[in-house]
Amino acid sequence: MKKMWVSLTVAAVILFTLGVILAEAADVIRLGSIYPLTGAIASSGLRSKHAIETALDVINNKYDLDVPFARTEGIPNLKGAKLEIIWGDSQASPEVGKTEAERLITREKVALIIGAYQSGVSKSASFVAERYKIPFVCAESSSAELTERGLKYFFRLAPTDAEDSIAFFNFLDEMKAKGKKVERVALLYENTEFGVHAAGEARKQAEKRGYKIVTDIPYPFKSTDVKSEVLKIKAAKPDVILQASLLGDMMLFAKTFKELKVDFNANLSYCGGYHDPSFVLNLKKDAEYFMGQCTFSPDFITKKPVLGRLNEMYKKRSGVDFDGVTIEGFTSVLVVADALNRAKSTDPEALVQALRTTDLKTPTLPGDAVKFDEKGQNIKIISNISQVQSGQYRVIWPAEMAATGMVWPFMPWEKR
Amino acid sequence: MDASILLQILISGLLMGLIFALIAVGLTLIWGVMDVLNFAHGEFLMLAMYISFWMFSLWSIDPLWSLPVSVAALFVTGLLTYRLIIKKVLNAPGLTALLATFGLSILIKNLAQFFWTPDFRHIQGAILSDKAISFFGLHLSLPEVVAAVGSGLITYLIYFLIFKTKTGRAIRAAALDRDTALLMGIDIDRIYGLTFGLGGACVGVAGALLMNFYYVFPSVGSLFGILAFVTVALGGFGNITGAFLAGILIGVVETAGGVFISPVFKYTVVFVMYLVIISIRPKGLFGW
Repeated sequence: MKKMWVSLTVAAVILFTLGVILAEAADVIRLGSIYPLTGAIASSGLRSKHAIETALDVINNKYDLDVPFARTEGIPNLKGAKLEIIWGDSQASPEVGKTEAERLITREKVALIIGAYQSGVSKSASFVAERYKIPFVCAESSSAELTERGLKYFFRLAPTDAEDSIAFFNFLDEMKAKGKKVERVALLYENTEFGVHAAGEARKQAEKRGYKIVTDIPYPFKSTDVKSEVLKIKAAKPDVILQASLLGDMMLFAKTFKELKVDFNANLSYCGGYHDPSFVLNLKKDAEYFMGQCTFSPDFITKKPVLGRLNEMYKKRSGVDFDGVTIEGFTSVLVVADALNRAKSTDPEALVQALRTTDLKTPTLPGDAVKFDEKGQNIKIISNISQVQSGQYRVIWPAEMAATGMVWPFMPWEKR
Repeated sequence: MDASILLQILISGLLMGLIFALIAVGLTLIWGVMDVLNFAHGEFLMLAMYISFWMFSLWSIDPLWSLPVSVAALFVTGLLTYRLIIKKVLNAPGLTALLATFGLSILIKNLAQFFWTPDFRHIQGAILSDKAISFFGLHLSLPEVVAAVGSGLITYLIYFLIFKTKTGRAIRAAALDRDTALLMGIDIDRIYGLTFGLGGACVGVAGALLMNFYYVFPSVGSLFGILAFVTVALGGFGNITGAFLAGILIGVVETAGGVFISPVFKYTVVFVMYLVIISIRPKGLFGW
């Protein structure tokens, strides 16, 4: 009697699972996504996850918004098939990112991968994707080298740190022309793919334009304290600091600058910790007047109200406003949906062809469009510069995008 | 490099070092007495920091006043870890206790992320926050000074407990030779529980003090945990004075190495120093 029940239950489970699988196969497109969901920068990784989930919501359901795929449900040319993300956790490590890419491709059979926040992880995970000929859409990693590898299946939305360096130095040239002291430049960067590369680009620009690098400080990512780094900066007395740090280190640096009373004219951050709203939320007044490259600021919402509505949706999930990193993540899903729609198939080769010919109008990024060059780099994106003022990220440069005036120099700690 | 920067390096290193020392003292106590390497030590620190954080955020209790709560909570955590986990694997083959604490560390870390999200949490507006002492061109953050002084005091208290009290003698006896201690009528079970609890209490103090100037997130334990292990190994397993001095040494060497060589190498310098010392004195600076 018992044996009969066991067999019946097993049969029922098998039938049910089959049913679910069959049902899924018809209506759902499986995409992979790798982000640091646990570990030292999990808070930033989770925000990207929320941004991507917001995008899935917009695409899979019907919303009256002027955003690609909002007014339809799912992918129109694939009979309304919905998108589903299978998550991979890189734990902030390139090795783990690589393993997760393998798992998503070979076991979960995803059609493509979106990721991975850190340049180091995007680098290793995309090598895996390339090997399996699966497209890798990199939303926010900034190392220019990622699109210099000659990969055929790699696409990136964010501006590169080469672009950002040019923007920073254009900005500094303008300030120099106005008579401000900016010649002495300090480079402060984490010792990873992201930091080392950004510093390399900065050095190139500095040499080209006649700036003096007074100190060059790589430091270990995830430090418990940054006294030695800050003491070296203090001794070098720079006018401007160009910084490449993720959230935890960025917060530590800000606090240590304050503690050791290190003053300078400006601190410009590459895409990283500065952008995570936690920086401002946690440090409050101590985050004021830091600057950084910017692909999103709440200032954009006044010019484009649809961003305000998207921001509300995102904020419900993450508790904070969009920032450059997360909106790039959001847009990457739109790009993928667009490619799926034009390819009319989930076959990787068709997808890659569609991605290569992307010409997508979207209000979500500066430049209002996404288009990839032959190396896979988005050539439409523009970098601005923002500054934290009164707890908000305000766009201050270039002049035609500026929402408000800038505070120069960085107000000395004594005077705050 | 002028004299004030040199002095700043020494003192900043000393302050951080004292905090490493306190974390290490708890670890070395457990290790020395029970031969158990508590891999979850860093996570205990994280729990203590979160307790301070939540008491401040929810009930506006300053970390200085909630310190006794952190200490008590972590003492109990240590005790429970012993009773529920360690006790059962004490007689098992060598690595079992290690793996058990390793598993515990993963459990605590992920529970913390599940309940409290991985966001960085930070305290502002506490009694000590943002205050600094400045003199002769030196700038010392008051929370760090208090943390360092507090660490020093607690280390001395532990030292006093171990070497000048009867219970301390029992602990030392259990560490020296468990079976003979049993024969002498010492309740090993109670002593082990007490030791684990004390190890937790040390980290409870360190966490509460750290919260005044550091930020907490579920993985913060691993950063400090690794340095604690090195400190313990450097000072000699089971030696409290050793852990204390090793902590200070590591703090100073890390800061100085960072400034004089390069911040990228600050941990390299620490580990090279460790390797050199271990090759000359394999048992650590003061090892038994």
